[in-house]
Amino acid sequence: MDLKKIFCATLALASLLPFAGAQSAKTPDLTGVWGTFKGGKGPNAKFAAPPAGQLVLKPEYAKPYEARRAKEAEANQRGEQLANSGAQCVPYGVPTMMSVAVYPVEIIQTPKQVTIVSEAFSEVRRVYLDRPQAPLEDVAPGYYGRSVGHWEADTLVVDTIGIKTSVNGYRGMPHSERMRITERMKLVTPDVLHDQITIDDPVVLEKPMVYTLAYQRVPDYEMVEFVCDNNREFIDENGIVRMKVKER
Amino acid sequence: MKSRPLNVLAMTMLLAISAQAHHSFTMFDATKQITLSGIVTSFEWTNPHSYIEIDVSDEGGAVKHWSIEMGSPSILQQSGWKFSSLKKGDKTTLVINPLKDGRAGGFLNTATLPTGKTLGNGPGRGPQK
Repeated sequence: MDLKKIFCATLALASLLPFAGAQSAKTPDLTGVWGTFKGGKGPNAKFAAPPAGQLVLKPEYAKPYEARRAKEAEANQRGEQLANSGAQCVPYGVPTMMSVAVYPVEIIQTPKQVTIVSEAFSEVRRVYLDRPQAPLEDVAPGYYGRSVGHWEADTLVVDTIGIKTSVNGYRGMPHSERMRITERMKLVTPDVLHDQITIDDPVVLEKPMVYTLAYQRVPDYEMVEFVCDNNREFIDENGIVRMKVKER
Repeated sequence: MKSRPLNVLAMTMLLAISAQAHHSFTMFDATKQITLSGIVTSFEWTNPHSYIEIDVSDEGGAVKHWSIEMGSPSILQQSGWKFSSLKKGDKTTLVINPLKDGRAGGFLNTATLPTGKTLGNGPGRGPQK
């Protein structure tokens, strides 16, 4: 075997490493049900999520975003809520589905795939560990896009593209089709998980938005079915969320 | 009305943490509490919210129907609720925050079941299991 062949074989092997080859006996197991971390005070304070970074939108996006937030705040002051996707029972998508109110997420980890199920709205994400990311132009825009992941030591790094622009991002921020989400999921203790989320969007953001979600294990929890088949909220003619009442 | 300040505080806290919740609670008047005693016409263990439909008779015998919103089953079970906690025909007493727009609807604070047990409306809202 000549040196060139050995070099080529080594190169081919190395190219596989970021995928299935990175799984080892030391790979953490994220499998389980995870609820919002509640121990942010006292001795557990060090496991709380670090403060979120600053959301800095490009000026042409900042103006309408701030105007919308101001309108929402005004409506709240009046005791009203403006229409949003949640009130219409539309799923939240990535990344918002990772933190919906107090609902837990379930992670199912196998060597080739990590599946994440959010109890709220029964949303499902699949993170492929055994294949590369597809080019953006090949991913149909959707709520969950396409996610691939690999292990970097004890951290699962997840890359997501293809979130459609109607799916709101962090705190309702707008985004373009070029939004890319990088998550770094790590067990900071066996029972506390951090998901550091970096949203990068060269069209909309001045700089990447980084925030971290902290979870704690909910042992023995059985996920509750969530099908949105009794939505009584409706949007009135003024764009305000109201509730239907039944007649006798 | 001893529990009112606590209840308002709990609602405010919940608002603060539930930025991505299904909807906010601004349509309900958190400063007002009404007690409704009546007969359950249906108990809907559903998403995104559960509901108690209830007929309430006044002293003159006139019946008014109310629709009372609760948390989702996932949230309610943390207060000890089950899908079978109430059924059609049960007599119950509900403490609610009414809708601000005056229609006969509201948001549950507590419910006293036919067994005499009083349940809240999820963590931070009324008695826990």
